[in-house]
Amino acid sequence: MANNERRYVIIGASAAGMAAAEAIRQSDSTGFITVLSEEPVQPYFRPMIPFLISGKKSVADMTLVGQGPYSGTGIDVRLNSKAEAIDTKNQTVTVQGGDLVLYDRLLIATGSRPYIPPEIEGTEAAGVFALRTLTDALAAADCAAQADHVVMLGGGLLNLKAAFALLERGLDVTLVVYSPEVLSQLMEPDDAVLIRDALNKAGLKIMTDCSATHILSQAGGVNGVLLNSGQEMFCQMVCIGKGVFPNVNFLEQSDVQVDQGVVVDRFTACNAANVFAAGDVAVTFDPITSDRIVTGLWTNAVEMGRCAGYNMAGRTTEYTGTFGILNATQVADEPFVSMGIVHTSGTDYETHVFSTRNTYRKLVFSEDGERLVGAVFVGDISHAGLYRYVMREKMDVAKIKPFIIKHTLHYGHLLLP
Amino acid sequence: MAGDNGNSNKSTDPAVQEMIAKAESMNVVTVWDRYEAMQPQCGFGDTGLCCRNCLQGPCRIDPFGDGPDKAICGATADVMVARGLDRAIAAGTAAHSGHARHLAHTLLKMAEGKAKDYTVKDGAKLRAVSTRMNIPIEGRSDNEIALDLAKAALADFGEKDTPVMWAATVVTKDRVKVLTDLGLVPKGIDYEVSEIMHRTLYGVDADAVNLLLAGLRCGVADLAGCYMGTDLADILFGTPTPVVTEANLGTLKADAINIAVHGHNPVLSDLMVTVASDMKEAAVAAGASGINMVGICCTGNEVMMRHGIPSCTHSVSQEMALMTGALDAMVVDYQCIMPAVVNVAECVGTTIVTTMDLCKITGATHVEFSEEAAAEKAKETIDIAIQNFSRRKNKPIDIPEIRTPVVAGFSVEAIVAALSKVNAEDPLKPVVDNIKAGNIRGVCLFAGCNNVKVPQDKNFTVMARKLLKENVLTVATGCGAGALMRHGFMDPANVDDLCGDGLKAVLTAIGEANDLGGPLPPILHLGSCVDNSRAVALAVAVADYLGVDTDKLPVVASAAEAVSEKAVSIGAYAVAAGLPTHVGVMLPVLGSPLVTEVLTAKVKDLTGGYFIVDLDPESAADQLLSVIDERRAGLGL
Amino acid sequence: MAQPKEIFVRLDRCMGCHSCELACAVEHSQSKSLYSAISEKPTPQSRVYVEWVPPDNRLPVLCRHCEDAPCMHACICGAISRTEEGVVMTNADKCIGCWTCVMVCPYGVIGRHLQEHKAYRCDRCPDLEIPACVNSCPTKALVYRTVDEFSKDVRRVASREMLSGEGG
Repeated sequence: MANNERRYVIIGASAAGMAAAEAIRQSDSTGFITVLSEEPVQPYFRPMIPFLISGKKSVADMTLVGQGPYSGTGIDVRLNSKAEAIDTKNQTVTVQGGDLVLYDRLLIATGSRPYIPPEIEGTEAAGVFALRTLTDALAAADCAAQADHVVMLGGGLLNLKAAFALLERGLDVTLVVYSPEVLSQLMEPDDAVLIRDALNKAGLKIMTDCSATHILSQAGGVNGVLLNSGQEMFCQMVCIGKGVFPNVNFLEQSDVQVDQGVVVDRFTACNAANVFAAGDVAVTFDPITSDRIVTGLWTNAVEMGRCAGYNMAGRTTEYTGTFGILNATQVADEPFVSMGIVHTSGTDYETHVFSTRNTYRKLVFSEDGERLVGAVFVGDISHAGLYRYVMREKMDVAKIKPFIIKHTLHYGHLLLP
Repeated sequence: MAGDNGNSNKSTDPAVQEMIAKAESMNVVTVWDRYEAMQPQCGFGDTGLCCRNCLQGPCRIDPFGDGPDKAICGATADVMVARGLDRAIAAGTAAHSGHARHLAHTLLKMAEGKAKDYTVKDGAKLRAVSTRMNIPIEGRSDNEIALDLAKAALADFGEKDTPVMWAATVVTKDRVKVLTDLGLVPKGIDYEVSEIMHRTLYGVDADAVNLLLAGLRCGVADLAGCYMGTDLADILFGTPTPVVTEANLGTLKADAINIAVHGHNPVLSDLMVTVASDMKEAAVAAGASGINMVGICCTGNEVMMRHGIPSCTHSVSQEMALMTGALDAMVVDYQCIMPAVVNVAECVGTTIVTTMDLCKITGATHVEFSEEAAAEKAKETIDIAIQNFSRRKNKPIDIPEIRTPVVAGFSVEAIVAALSKVNAEDPLKPVVDNIKAGNIRGVCLFAGCNNVKVPQDKNFTVMARKLLKENVLTVATGCGAGALMRHGFMDPANVDDLCGDGLKAVLTAIGEANDLGGPLPPILHLGSCVDNSRAVALAVAVADYLGVDTDKLPVVASAAEAVSEKAVSIGAYAVAAGLPTHVGVMLPVLGSPLVTEVLTAKVKDLTGGYFIVDLDPESAADQLLSVIDERRAGLGL
Repeated sequence: MAQPKEIFVRLDRCMGCHSCELACAVEHSQSKSLYSAISEKPTPQSRVYVEWVPPDNRLPVLCRHCEDAPCMHACICGAISRTEEGVVMTNADKCIGCWTCVMVCPYGVIGRHLQEHKAYRCDRCPDLEIPACVNSCPTKALVYRTVDEFSKDVRRVASREMLSGEGG
């Protein structure tokens, strides 16, 4: 079949799906590209949701198409088109409502959805949010306008960002964290000291080592949270940020191999012919540990989606994997980056920690000290990309190690070793 | 090396290394951090190809030839580099002579009865110097002579009927002729500094060789400033005689009030030593065991030479003295005081006391010193330290357990006195005979600073080790002396290890003739940086004895880790005096091949001296040895 | 389309004078004048960095405007895009200061404007014929050429050096 007639179908119109669509268009200027979105709104930059909640950005500011690299033409995005099943023999996708969409190449990029812990009772009450979609965010913003106090369940990055957005709106915000410290997925408690200080200073109330058992509500919606300590907190709004899990339900009847997420090879292909997967829904691997991982990161999803797009269009491209941890952001005026292996207590990794009043860094090397495998920077994150590069390329650090440890590495060190 | 702490690329002094590690652990920013932050440093400045002398500038010349090859005014790279070098020499000359002028004013006030805390401590030297200056001494009191000498000294700064006397009377007769023929005899010290500023002005001297000659003349004026500084300090505070003491951070005492005097001029520091000895009671009342004075840099050398006050550290490691946390006050006068001391002091609770109007530092406590109320001001500064002692009660301090024995105090007079124990009639004969016999292959002076670009003391110690083994009689001044003393080069016990057999025999013979029960130290400490004049005096004495000019002697000099513009002006007069002079860091001259060629080669045809720029201490030592051999051959030795 | 010009670095020419850094900051100031720029708020920032590799290598480092720009794809708000001339631009209005671009740039050339909370990088001076850094370089270590022109230059210099080497 000639390329100019090829039908590309992408399920999911977020990072992986839209990045794949762009990559396909780059490589194939005439193929038909159809993106199926279950959402009722045009594709948008999901990570900007906290800014929508804080009011700093509008829905229009979040639009994806036409912004950044998303300038490709002839990409047909169909809204309200949830995929219900796929048939890999006949190469069709069944869309909600019964429509069948034929594909020559299919990308599964359905992403993930929030995990709502079943052990917490009352999560279905009005005023309980898991901030995933634009629709969720708009509803949460409406609710916040009426609320004084919000309880956030979970100390991860998404919840922290949302907590800040709500703080900026002038609400009282209490973060309930099961772990001994916030951001426990991204760093160890000692690494988070400066961030924690900044959060405290910014006025966020943080309760660690505790969890919610019940969300209390009455007719008007949420009116409190009961903690495992027995303590009851009054609030008018609850946000749950307990992680995400891949959207794979619609694949139950198909022969696509699923293990947590959709299993793909190094070229983003599934076990079924002409089917690919990328983004949060796919199982990928960590180039440092070689562990199979499922990540929930925009940046990773874009990278993998582009790779899948190229493969779908016939440009064989190997996906080099991604670190399980790869985060940069700024909360409470405290920028930080966390990448690679950063949970080192009880391990034999060679770690170098340096802290001052306003900066902190941890550099993690392999046990033999020859490779950089992880890094946490807080306060000063300059040149972080170079460290990521050194990690990803598994470079021998013998000549540049002092610069790495002192956080003075620059490109010249790599260019003129 | 034990306790290296990974800082051996910063300093080779283990005590300093220990404090660098402490500074790092406390996140205290020091000179090494600031150096790193400054990289890369501008190559135009580095090669002398940057000019800011007029308001049309700044101008830079492209050494690769693609960009501008002339300044806006038309100055070539040669002119630009020569002008820059001249201004450095002028600055160095201004500093040394400023130091000397301060002493001259002190002597004058003393003679006029306005500075009661000062007296003539060495009447013999007063008379000797005055005689050299044609000032009558017969039947006159110290004060009468001192008054005339002070006036003669001050007269040397301006233009008058005679040339600068402290230059014209301190070199060999032949050298006076050489300098006169070349037009290198300075008219007045300030005159020469001022003239450099004039000729390097926009649109004045644009002949690189002419500029360099003027620089050399200013360098000779610098010799005058240094020589005057030494003479007047000896008269007012006594000419040094050998003294046993110690060096390095281990000389600080945990239980005592530690006061570091830092800077250059003994006008204040010498008085502080005297006054402190009367203040023990106040110190004890404050809970301390007493007052422990230590020196840093050249004012430290001054009080070490005359009073045996230990030296705590030098030059680039001055912040490290503060890092111990044990200093209660650092009292500074001027020159080589890094402004950063106030920042480090703030971290550790030391009070920095500035004392001179021309050297105030924001963040320091200023006690304006005056010669008229000298003892009172000295007491005031010591009181500050005593009051500050209470701050560190029960606080941990870290004094590295590192102390090196030092025998210092080798003025020319002291050396001659020691030699006269060997041969009373003809004191220089033993030395000259040993030079002739080859037991002493030559003489080397180590001078100057510690430069952050060099692992501290490395160039000095590597070179000294090599030269001593090759039987080169070695003397040292300033922070070069400081470097060498901290590494044991001034401990007679190390003569066996360090010196070649010939040198060992000479040092031992002199030591035994003086009932020292052993040799002189491997390297003789001549004093502070103005005391490079003592090296000139020594060389002139030997030259006169041999009946040759100083440019024939197997005598070399090295500023192995130079920093200050003063080192540049010293280098200029060493070259003018005919000495091959090594500099162990790059001078900002490479942008002009002509200037580089003149300084390192062509000037040899004029004065006999020249610069040797070599950043590798091993090969620099080899070069100096071959120069010494060349000179020996020239003398038929 | 004609091949666009790019900023190239002649490594052996850099004197480490930081002139390019100053010129860059001034060009990215409100006033475009050094004397005013010095006191401007927000403080103008340079997008070129003169780095040092001991013992004596100095080199200016700046955005390469990568063909496959990782920063552009990583950006979580669409603030980074490529112009027709191939310049990868950060739109400060859109930037939310999440620093993802900083984390993925393998050259370390994306700066963080702390007062503004925005990322910034070389924009090849869209208002100028020749970028400010190139213009300011006293030794022409920075040159503004097309890839073809630059490689031709390199070949010319190499052959000249070879000839002069052979000629002794």
